[in-house]
Amino acid sequence: MNATAKSDMSSAEIYDRGYRKYVGARSGVFGAIRSLVWQTIRSILGLGRSARHKVFPVIVVVIAALPAVVFLGIAVLLRDLGDNAPNYSDLFVFSFFAVIVFAAAVAPEALVRDRRDNMFSLYLSTPLTRSSYLGAKSIAVVGVMMIITLGPVLLALIGYTVVGDGPDGVGEWLKVFLGLTVASLLISAVMAAVSMGCSSLTDRRAVASVAIALLTIGGGIVSGMLVEMADYSNTYGLIDPLNTAIELAPRILGEVSEDTSQGRLLAEIDTSVVALGAAAWFAAGVGVLVYRYRKLEAI
Amino acid sequence: MQFGAQYAIDSLDVEVQSGVTGLVGANGAGKTTLLSLFLGLRVPTAGQVRVLGLNPQTNGTQLRARIGYGPERNIVPEDMPVSDFVRHMAELRGMPRSEARGRASDALWLVGLGEERTRALGTMSTGQRQRAKLAQAIAADPALLLLDEPTDGLDPLQRDEMLALIQQVSREYGIDVVLSSHLLEEVERICEHVVALDAGQLVAAGRIADLVGDQQGVVVELAEIADQPEAFGQVLNSLRDSGLEVRHGEVAARLEVVGSDLDLLADLVRDALIAANARVIRIERRKRRLEDLFSVDAA
Repeated sequence: MNATAKSDMSSAEIYDRGYRKYVGARSGVFGAIRSLVWQTIRSILGLGRSARHKVFPVIVVVIAALPAVVFLGIAVLLRDLGDNAPNYSDLFVFSFFAVIVFAAAVAPEALVRDRRDNMFSLYLSTPLTRSSYLGAKSIAVVGVMMIITLGPVLLALIGYTVVGDGPDGVGEWLKVFLGLTVASLLISAVMAAVSMGCSSLTDRRAVASVAIALLTIGGGIVSGMLVEMADYSNTYGLIDPLNTAIELAPRILGEVSEDTSQGRLLAEIDTSVVALGAAAWFAAGVGVLVYRYRKLEAI
Repeated sequence: MQFGAQYAIDSLDVEVQSGVTGLVGANGAGKTTLLSLFLGLRVPTAGQVRVLGLNPQTNGTQLRARIGYGPERNIVPEDMPVSDFVRHMAELRGMPRSEARGRASDALWLVGLGEERTRALGTMSTGQRQRAKLAQAIAADPALLLLDEPTDGLDPLQRDEMLALIQQVSREYGIDVVLSSHLLEEVERICEHVVALDAGQLVAAGRIADLVGDQQGVVVELAEIADQPEAFGQVLNSLRDSGLEVRHGEVAARLEVVGSDLDLLADLVRDALIAANARVIRIERRKRRLEDLFSVDAA
């Protein structure tokens, strides 16, 4: 044995591995919620899963980001968009389709999968309770949905700032940033409630997807027909949950106009009525969700 | 514990000791309901439950962090690698993220899935999934393990291995185990204590050795003789007249004779057989088993 080999041998260590007692601190409910949030986000986005589970999340992100990226590209190239630059509320409207695809095709994974795989009962055998379980799931769904709603407008904010069309001064910039975040949070919360409420009613993702699509797309069609064809009051636009939620954005950002183009049936409606409509959709979704999970057999 | 007008568990007053305790009873006896009471997932209609010195109703979150639960239902997050599954469950029960990863690996090696840790649960056999359920239950170093039918769906060899594992977990790592099973034989094999339920009522509880006692017996199987149809009845009556405990089950012409003095019992059996001129297929000595106890109680 030469000197090098001797040296290698002396630096070798034997690890005492194997099952053993744990004497450290435990993270309690907070740790359990954190773990479930992270696991749910991974599951929703298809991380650590086969390629087919990544298809819809990728489609959603692309659809959501595309308008902002296009406008950003134009802004950078032309250095000035003039009056053609969409405002932030318009960008929220552009994310309409991405939100529908996410709410209908991606978000149901958060709840349906646990019931289908019998994971729900196992979760309840841990420090999680029904309410902390639903809380964790809601955080995950709202969090991911905010990537879709907030991501593009943030991109636009940064783009406009870079080309000199952004808010004036740091204070104004932070105000816009906060407004975008709040608008995004509210839109995501309303749509997450609707999506999770529907998802709680079935163990089949396809059924949940169809129900959510019917509610959002169907709601839009019905409200459009009632208002534009049958001349009913624009208040009937509240039948559409997504339109109602998105209509919150201009109110928060101070971009209110009475332009009812781009399907903004609620543009002329009072802010308090729109807020009430959004709150009603949120409450309905959460109500169904909580009622359903109270009734679900634990083990 | 009452569901509507029906009692799932009635007048149960029992103390579960340290070690491995078998919770036995037929399907619908109330075993799983009792486990859900231990976990604080159901509220008892009357009375109180204390587990590890805690009230599951008021300290459920704290208690469940110290309990490992292996459900009867098949858990199939199909595309989740088993190591991720076990790590996630350890985190939910309070393990810090860095610790959970190592403990998941250790638990998987202990149950014999170390080499399979990257495999998705959906690709595993029933036996491997049962081991995965045990691994997730022990990964967070519980003080108490609640295992609901852990040998369900296993072949005899796999069942032996699973029972040996459960025994090892209790003996080597000092984890108390409550093993719910409808198979008396496996409870008798590894449990020191038993709680037997029948239709929600307590049939027996205590140390198996104390309950079974030192009674022994023989199994006598007679050949059916066409011209002597009464031979079986004669032997049965003769032994019962001698004051012995005699049972005959579903197998025709098979008697189980139980007594504390094996020599006397053997003599009485011999005399009864000769007197009835019965033809014997086999006489086999047998130790009294848990099954005998419940047959008597049921009768």
